[in-house]
Amino acid sequence: MALDIKPTRSELIKLKARIKQTKNGYKLLKMKRDGLFHEFRSLLAEMIEAKKDLTATYRLAKTRIDLANAIEGGLAVRATAIANSAHPEVEVQRRNIMGVVVPNIQGSGLKSSFDSRGVGFIGSSPYIDEASDSFGNLIEKIVTAAEMEATLKRLLEEIEATKRRVNALEFKVIPELEEAQGFIKLRLEEMEREETFRLKRFKNK
Amino acid sequence: MEIAVLGSPAFTLGFQLAGISHIYNPEGDEAIQSELKVLLNSKDVGIVVVDSEVLASLPDRLREQMSASVSPTILGIGTEEDNTLRETIRKAIGVDLWK
Repeated sequence: MALDIKPTRSELIKLKARIKQTKNGYKLLKMKRDGLFHEFRSLLAEMIEAKKDLTATYRLAKTRIDLANAIEGGLAVRATAIANSAHPEVEVQRRNIMGVVVPNIQGSGLKSSFDSRGVGFIGSSPYIDEASDSFGNLIEKIVTAAEMEATLKRLLEEIEATKRRVNALEFKVIPELEEAQGFIKLRLEEMEREETFRLKRFKNK
Repeated sequence: MEIAVLGSPAFTLGFQLAGISHIYNPEGDEAIQSELKVLLNSKDVGIVVVDSEVLASLPDRLREQMSASVSPTILGIGTEEDNTLRETIRKAIGVDLWK
């Protein structure tokens, strides 16, 4: 690109305007990058907490279901599982963070109530119920964690892309434009000097 | 959208208890990988819960695909902390921001 610049004054003016515009865009992009990063940091802190919580909840749920299996037997647990009529579902909507489309996940029917489990008071066991409860809990936490993880991933993608554009502007585009500007100025000065010299020769002749 | 769970029968039983019906118990690495690929491309599944031990046994490329997937979001659950997201962040930003 630097090779086919016409060293004329009008080109210089155009170039100056372009440099100004590009530098403005660069500043805006930097702000976007920093803003996104800021959002990301705060979400990350929440996410770390959520993940710890998730692991703890899973440990508890696993312990409970192992207990239920041991006391009631695997068959009874599986039978209760099949009898459960609750149906957890998630609804994914879009949200906008600083121009990035991120998911917003809402769960429904995640925790089954006692009556939807399909077993009566007598037929069920407290161990299986507790296991059911903690898994219901776990699923809620999973939905929250999944939403946060998906949001973080989207933010990360956008941060990476913006970072690349900022760097491209800072290290390639703007330096090339400025180099072209320098080149034109140099040539214009040279031409002026040549003119002056030629005029002098003329005058002296 | 649905929640799907993939893992050993012992792993998935708890989720069945809580009412999840999309349960997958593939046996053997091949079956696990092909099932995951199907789920990755599925439009109805919003979240896939996978046992973190299963995740660790997958080939790197598939794990990266799953890390990058947003719909569905793949979540690894285990008694140990899951580190794939941490790696992704480190690669993208260059600094290990976890913790």
